[in-house]
Amino acid sequence: MTFVKTDTAVLLFKGFLKEREREAVLEVLHRDQMVRETEEKRIRKLKLQLQQLQWKGARNSSHEYQERSCARCQKSLGLLMNRGAVCNGCSHRVCSECRVCLNPCLWKCTVCYAHGDVKVKAGEWFFEERAKKYPGEGRRETVGAKLLKSYQKLSEISVIPPTPPPFTEFTAGSNVKELSQSKSFNKSVENLFLSLTTHIKKISKSQNDMADRCLLTTDHGQNLERRKQRRSQSDTAINITSRMKSTPSLQQLITGAQNDSEILTKRNCKEEESIITSPTSDAVFCDGKKHGSLYSLNSTCTESGNFGKADVMGEIEFAMRYIFKACILEICIKRCKNLAYGEEKKKCNPYVKVYLLPDKSPQSKRKTAVKKRTVDPEFDETLKYKIEYSQLGSRQLQISVWHAGALKYRVFLGEVVIPLAAWDFQEDSMQLFSWYQLKPKLEKPEHDLIEDSGELLVSARLSAPAQYKNFQFEGRKDQGVPSCQLQVVITGAKNLPVLRAAAVPNPFVIGCLILPDQPEVKQKSPVRKKEACPQWNHLFVFDGVTPAQLQQSCLHLTVWDQSTSSSNDQFLGGATLGASRFFIMKN
Amino acid sequence: MASATDSRYGQKESSDQNFDYMFKILIIGNSSVGKTSFLFRYADDSFTPAFVSTVGIDFKVKTIYRNDKRIKLQIWDTAGQERYRTITTAYYRGAMGFILMYDITNEESFNAVQDWSTQIKTYSWDNAQVLLVGNKCDMEDERVVSSEKGRQLAEHLGFEFFEASAKDNINVKQTFERLVDIICEKMSESLDTADPAVTGAKQGPQLTDQQAPPHQDCAC
Repeated sequence: MTFVKTDTAVLLFKGFLKEREREAVLEVLHRDQMVRETEEKRIRKLKLQLQQLQWKGARNSSHEYQERSCARCQKSLGLLMNRGAVCNGCSHRVCSECRVCLNPCLWKCTVCYAHGDVKVKAGEWFFEERAKKYPGEGRRETVGAKLLKSYQKLSEISVIPPTPPPFTEFTAGSNVKELSQSKSFNKSVENLFLSLTTHIKKISKSQNDMADRCLLTTDHGQNLERRKQRRSQSDTAINITSRMKSTPSLQQLITGAQNDSEILTKRNCKEEESIITSPTSDAVFCDGKKHGSLYSLNSTCTESGNFGKADVMGEIEFAMRYIFKACILEICIKRCKNLAYGEEKKKCNPYVKVYLLPDKSPQSKRKTAVKKRTVDPEFDETLKYKIEYSQLGSRQLQISVWHAGALKYRVFLGEVVIPLAAWDFQEDSMQLFSWYQLKPKLEKPEHDLIEDSGELLVSARLSAPAQYKNFQFEGRKDQGVPSCQLQVVITGAKNLPVLRAAAVPNPFVIGCLILPDQPEVKQKSPVRKKEACPQWNHLFVFDGVTPAQLQQSCLHLTVWDQSTSSSNDQFLGGATLGASRFFIMKN
Repeated sequence: MASATDSRYGQKESSDQNFDYMFKILIIGNSSVGKTSFLFRYADDSFTPAFVSTVGIDFKVKTIYRNDKRIKLQIWDTAGQERYRTITTAYYRGAMGFILMYDITNEESFNAVQDWSTQIKTYSWDNAQVLLVGNKCDMEDERVVSSEKGRQLAEHLGFEFFEASAKDNINVKQTFERLVDIICEKMSESLDTADPAVTGAKQGPQLTDQQAPPHQDCAC
């Protein structure tokens, strides 16, 4: 029984009553929690069923798209008999078997029907309707959960009698009228409710709801703190670069391209291409042709810090599964919400990029299409990796969201990194779509990478030519901007990845200097035949570079294995000597 | 929707999850109008004349069979007392429908209906379904609010209206079932407007199909 008799006898024992009240409410909250858990379980099950239905289609879709086959069961459709018809919902042609009749003149395909059905059964319709009024509201109603949590937190404090009201923090910014009600500490239960609900309101209001000014101001401090946190996070990123700066001879790690995550087959490669609509197509890279491929190193370049940063916020929804039969890892990127704007003036053209770490080579990269002008993009793209199951344990799935600005300008919007070792691919429920909070970039796990793939190490040295040094010396007096020479000595590499079975590579290096507003300048080192640990001691000279330009430049160094038979040189690894700081240091 | 079967994608449900929809309903109104009694009559078919003031909030769960669907109702009973207002209003947002109750023998409780309705408008979603219920209709002798007055107010507020008695079990079941029906109507309405055939882009799976027909990794 959850009711407390408030007759006068009980009221006399005020303290007792309060205890009883608290117990009563707690009991209700716990009971609610159980109901909620059951409900969540049910919804999970529903969604799983839906997803299995969807995957079923996906599994079959490895065939070439055929107009004349049922989009659901893949049965081929006839020209006269069983012609199939186009589903109202998804515009796919489906056979008569794969339809659900809603009424004599309306039907939907099985997947569309199941989709709507789940939406109703899971109560999604309500959350969608409610979101019209409270756009920032979470999907699930969690008042009870939030209350329970804060109650437990607060009651721990409030149990000790003489302490000052523990809720000052929460009531500080709340409605003054409410505050006056809660003046007396004796009414502790009401106070507790008041503070709890204010707290709850605050949580929900802090997202988007601008209706209540008072509550918003309460948020202020919190936001500030969060911002501070963010700032410090980006500071670490700067620290990384400054660490690079202080090394006299920069040893840049190169992640080797590894065979096991090669593009599936020719056919699938095509599929990939159709996914990638952004100009930086990897397809060329994946084939191992070196021409035009440096373009794609832009992403390696973004990895080393040469990109804009936005305050990371928002979430991404995706699902992942492993098809054991085909050895394919599939990641279905569904959508993002509440992304940060990539640039000022509310610009955001988000896309999602995926790597199977530690492999950061282009062969490990998958990208979605770029969605224009939205912070709530819907992607609905499935990215695939052909990879042995045994390999997964050592991999991390890195899913990052980027803003594609003008002229290759990229802004990092957040990422999620999932160690696949802990992922149970056998478990069906792990295939469900879930929302993940986007996180700022972790501090670069360089040391991890050395341990993980410790395969390839390039030692590069930069030295300024004599006249360059002189300029620096005289430069203080002379305001003229002389044209300098950038020299890069490629010393050697070791532990290069072995691409071909038991074959020693024929490595060479390509250096590509990217200066602002100028075409890329490429240079190539000699090929060292059959050297696993090649020593080049080769000098790249880039002429006509001004110090000002260097500030904004970056140098891509890539190592290739020259193919003996074909023109398909294999990419072994690449590094970007990030930006200005490196060169400044060399001055 | 109702005539469609689930068998196509194999429905296996354990007993405690054996329902199709879950609706959350909130009962509000002044203190002592009979909210808790009303809920107890509906959920447990019991009645006790003693007045027991609800502490903050409580709920009961009842699964009913309506329109060929098993619907699990989580019915929240709220404290009418002003001092609990902050906790009770926090629950408005999760409720799909409301039963706003007054006592036909208590003028004050009837006069407060307008305020309660404003509370719903403030704290709930825009499509909140509300039934106005005048409770204690068994106490005809002490009636101070006429049926006509109640009906007029309900009409004015855009709510449906019932007079009921938890004690004599009059219109209790009918009230809840009507509310469930209205919520069901709202639900299919919301589905119809959000139908992919109409809105197109808003639904994930369909979006894929429309944008990139040759790429069908996502089944739908």
